[in-house]
Amino acid sequence: MKRSGPLFTLLAGLVLALFMLSVNATSGTGSSSYSDTSSDASEPTASPTTSAPGDRPSPTRTTTPTPSATPAKRPPSDARYAGRTDDDSASVAITLRDGEAVAYFCDGRATESWLKGDVEDDGSMRLTGKHGAKLDGRIVGDKVRGTVEIRKRTWAFTAPKTGKPAGVYRATTEVRGEKLDGGWIVQADGSQVGILTRDGEPAQAPRLDPDTGAVALADGGRLTARPVVP
Amino acid sequence: MSVDPNAPTQGGFPVPPGAGGPPRAHPARYLVPALVAAAVAVGLGAYGKVHDPEGTAFNLAGFSSTGAVKSWLATTALGFAVLQVVSALMVYGKLPGPSWSAGVHRWSGRIAFLVAVPVAVHCLYAFGYQTTTPRVLWHSALGCFFFGAFSAKMLLLRVERLPGWLLPVVGGLVFAVLTVVWWTSALWFFRTFGVST
Repeated sequence: MKRSGPLFTLLAGLVLALFMLSVNATSGTGSSSYSDTSSDASEPTASPTTSAPGDRPSPTRTTTPTPSATPAKRPPSDARYAGRTDDDSASVAITLRDGEAVAYFCDGRATESWLKGDVEDDGSMRLTGKHGAKLDGRIVGDKVRGTVEIRKRTWAFTAPKTGKPAGVYRATTEVRGEKLDGGWIVQADGSQVGILTRDGEPAQAPRLDPDTGAVALADGGRLTARPVVP
Repeated sequence: MSVDPNAPTQGGFPVPPGAGGPPRAHPARYLVPALVAAAVAVGLGAYGKVHDPEGTAFNLAGFSSTGAVKSWLATTALGFAVLQVVSALMVYGKLPGPSWSAGVHRWSGRIAFLVAVPVAVHCLYAFGYQTTTPRVLWHSALGCFFFGAFSAKMLLLRVERLPGWLLPVVGGLVFAVLTVVWWTSALWFFRTFGVST
């Protein structure tokens, strides 16, 4: 009189797991963000950016103003925002400094755009990039809401305020005559997405270590990415 | 008609017929559950360690992020796991409970397990086995251990003539491990990012 129920339970779990793996594997190109949960560590890069009073708890946190309670009468002079498009197909990150903003839009495969512009006193921003790319956004509470338009396509996005090591990173260098230009967005949850363009050919970027900015290339080379500030 | 006066008393759980034989299961009976448990735990960990984290995210409508989906799924699993403990106490007669508490125990366990599987699949597929911080290390290790322990629990149910303390101990271990796994992930998520969907 052996009970077979437990076996069926295990089998059902196995089938479910295999099913989800196959779904993941077949639709897995959606957002090629990498994960890194080492985001608790501090960031020893030579970046002069001071940590924004984000909502990540850190041991050094003393008095973090509750972000939702401040309806952003004036935009923060120094802040990082990182989020995703509403359809979850791409990441958007914005860094603010002294009334200027730089933003990076990246889907992790082929579409990316660097955008720059001013932040108005009411927290709105109209950033522009190459080839007519536009980002219209507004700081609402502790988030930036807005739209990005690249090559006639428009995405709505929401980017919550965040702190190190989340944010925008970039590495530009020339290796043996080959131009390399990489951009990464590290999200507050440690996941990341990036595009590395080699001689004008964009491709999914290798993983960035947000703590050091180090990027190990497939051919054995190394890059160092730095946080982007306006 | 004869009743064996030395038959072990029925300790709340049905003792299979023919229980007058050896009072303890042969140690080899535990071998299969133990080996399967070890294989599951080590296999999951090895898979998470060896393959490249894909980072891809499935998402459910209405949730802001994969992290939120997983946190709520994990919290659901933990809720059913609490029901597991309560219904188990009823089955063992430690708490007053209805006659169908055994059914509650079986089905809440199945639901908890099946809800936890997608979370684990995503963890292992997208993140892999990581050791970067103590939280991540504990979560990775115990997450793998949980599914091994759960497999052992399921297979032990099929072993006849177990010592009475074994199932409660293994079940309690499964629950405790799940709690720590939830604590190092979903609770961390809610405390870090707020209780959001």
